Amino acid sequence: MEQAAERSSTLVASTSQGSDLDPISRVRKLLFRQMLVGIKDGRFFLGNFHCIDKQGNIILQDTVEYRSIRKSSPSPTEQRCLGMILIPSSCRTSCHVDCSIEEQLSLIQLKE
Amino acid sequence: MKPVGEEASSSSIHHDSSIPSGDNSVWADVSPLLSAACTDLQEGELINGDNFNLFAAMSALEIMDPKMDSGMVSTFYSIDEAIESGFAPVPISSDSTVNVQSIIDIMDHLLACEATWHMGHSLAQTVFSCIYVLRPERTSSQALLHSYCRVIRATCRAVVSVVSDARTNEEEDLFTMTYGLPFSGDEDAKGLLLLNAVEETICRQLRACKATRRRVLEDAELEPLQTDPHLEESFCKSLLCRIRFRKHFLHALNCMRRPQGRGLELARKHIAYCISELDSVLELEEFLRLNIVENGGNEIEESTTASGRSPIGFDPTLNKRLSAPTPPRAIKLLSWKKAIDYYVKLLHNLDQICVFSLEPDLEAVLQFVIQFQKSRPDLVARAHLQLLLVQDGKLYGRDTFLTICARSLALDVSKNHGLHTNEYILQLNQLMVNLLKILCANTPWQRRKLGKILNDWSIFHVQMGIAVGQMMQQDTSRASKNGDKSLLILNHIYGGLDEQINWVAIRFLMLGFDLDLYSPSEYCMVYWYMYIILWKLAERARFRVLIVVNTEERKAKRNKEYSRDMAREDQISLWVLFLKCQTCLAQGLTVMIAALRNEGMCLKSQGPFNTENEKFIQHFELLQKASLPEYDAYESFSKSTSHARLDYLPMYEYFHDAQKIAKDIKVGYANDPDKLAEVQGLEKVAERNIVAVNLFCQDRSLKVSFEFTHHPYFATAVVRRS
Repeated sequence: MEQAAERSSTLVASTSQGSDLDPISRVRKLLFRQMLVGIKDGRFFLGNFHCIDKQGNIILQDTVEYRSIRKSSPSPTEQRCLGMILIPSSCRTSCHVDCSIEEQLSLIQLKE
Repeated sequence: MKPVGEEASSSSIHHDSSIPSGDNSVWADVSPLLSAACTDLQEGELINGDNFNLFAAMSALEIMDPKMDSGMVSTFYSIDEAIESGFAPVPISSDSTVNVQSIIDIMDHLLACEATWHMGHSLAQTVFSCIYVLRPERTSSQALLHSYCRVIRATCRAVVSVVSDARTNEEEDLFTMTYGLPFSGDEDAKGLLLLNAVEETICRQLRACKATRRRVLEDAELEPLQTDPHLEESFCKSLLCRIRFRKHFLHALNCMRRPQGRGLELARKHIAYCISELDSVLELEEFLRLNIVENGGNEIEESTTASGRSPIGFDPTLNKRLSAPTPPRAIKLLSWKKAIDYYVKLLHNLDQICVFSLEPDLEAVLQFVIQFQKSRPDLVARAHLQLLLVQDGKLYGRDTFLTICARSLALDVSKNHGLHTNEYILQLNQLMVNLLKILCANTPWQRRKLGKILNDWSIFHVQMGIAVGQMMQQDTSRASKNGDKSLLILNHIYGGLDEQINWVAIRFLMLGFDLDLYSPSEYCMVYWYMYIILWKLAERARFRVLIVVNTEERKAKRNKEYSRDMAREDQISLWVLFLKCQTCLAQGLTVMIAALRNEGMCLKSQGPFNTENEKFIQHFELLQKASLPEYDAYESFSKSTSHARLDYLPMYEYFHDAQKIAKDIKVGYANDPDKLAEVQGLEKVAERNIVAVNLFCQDRSLKVSFEFTHHPYFATAVVRRS
């Protein structure tokens, strides 16, 4: 918890300069944070952001898979631990990172 | 079915409620940021931390790859959803004809699934890919389908039990793990009773429709299976033979599990019924295909049902998450025809086991297991054999190995109760139990383990030798006078160990031919090794004959009414001659191949990577380590083969001797068709090789190759003009 607070505070400190940094550096700062990736068939994967390449393929560590038991929502979800996974960019539909409310702005914001 | 993607986009927001982020934090969408970063990246550049290891990252599971992603949603999100959307309806159809046809399809497909499972795939992707089998309580209103599913579950459980107990499955894949499949509970036990009741009903229906043809009064209470009266009889028959096969198969398995082989005779009867019911199933195949348009020859051959239709209610992807912690392999189900072939083979193998006479005779047991393994039986049959042979650390759960080993030396140990707890006897027991278990395994695993235990046996041999030697020295006068033969028995058993070790060694060498482990350029050294081991084995066996004869003669002298077991003596003598025949053949082959090699007519065993010495060590290291033989084997091999020439007369003698012995022992094996066939094979090998050598002597330019046409382990030289 302390680490998270520390990290988010460092990010808050750098958010003032956050928009000045290039996208690559900003993404670099997201490494090891909790990332939630949604894919085409409706499943979600929550893991530590480990790597991304030019094509947009993402590697997550210590991942947990969330899937709903029914096609229609809302429905209960099942969880499963997977370890290290690779999510091809072709099947990724959404990607969120766990962050503080202050940070949120800087992350969503893109340099024009 | 709606494409899955649509659902995802509409529900992409709802994850927020079910997947909480940390305290005081939210989920921020970073997709645009990631896209921007990716655009800026160079080709091949990654954004990664310091601890990133490319090699480790290669082991990441790739999502949406069917081979690696076991959670991939294909059709339904869960079993319940599948059921709700009508995937496995109960009853299957309101049209009773379609209903019956569908049930038959399900039964056929389940048979194919079960056979596929036996051959090494997971239960979840095979038998339990059927929703009716997964949730049997749903079908309680449909007696036929319900009872059939219950009996299949009970059968699967019986097979899992056998294979787990025998622990032969470590050599196979993913066989007994049930991974959370609903396997517990006793409801399946009632399955047989229910199935019997259903069988009765259908039987009466069959009689009724046969009777209708002869215009006898119908039983008004009986309800026809389906609507078309012309098809009723054949449908009844089709169902009956399938139901009966299932029933008898489960009974056979249960009977075979009874300890000490008490249920084997009854099992045979059930096995015979199974085989005849399978014949009926095949006979009725034509009828079931009647209404189906021919799709083309291949599709029908590959079909998992007799009718060629796909069965209702099966989805192997529903259980993917249960099949294993490791990513699932795509499996291909056996076709229905191949499944039936598999069962016929399994039933014949089980029958072979049931016929075994359970003699408390070590040679008979070993001989039986070797013979049984010749037909390459599958896992289920081998597991049954192992459990029959070894139970509670005793042979057949009945005789201790001390008794068995003593019997092979014509010794009676019933009065020597103290011996049973002797530490060496206990160790010997363990070694024998292990050996029998190994001999019931599949060939590759068996050979590997046989090589390993040679060392165990050899060490035991040395230790026991020291201990017995010391005991013999200390014991000067007491034992023999008191009538306590314990030390004498120990001494004899120790003496018999050598024969046992050499037996294991020769089996190890011969299995190399079964597994194609020797290239033709290595035959010379293999036959040389076989020759020295066989020679030792024959010598020890002959020694045992002398002991047995000696013991029997003394018993006869002491007790005038004692009848000598001449049959046993003759049998061991025959065995000795059989070994001698093989020894001569091995010797002849060694010299012949060495001569051909020395005269440049066939390959030397030196390749571009290894010297002959290195190859020799690779093949025979385990034997040499176990002091088989005690001297330097390679040196001896080199010396004995370096000067071999084709006009070397003793070569002919070896083959002639083998021929002569073979002729003699054919008489002795007249009542044993398997052994007789083998001896005839040995005879032919000797004959053909003599002819071949003659030809080589006259013309050195001929081409030679080696084939195993007459015997799987002894090669025949085949001559060709170049």
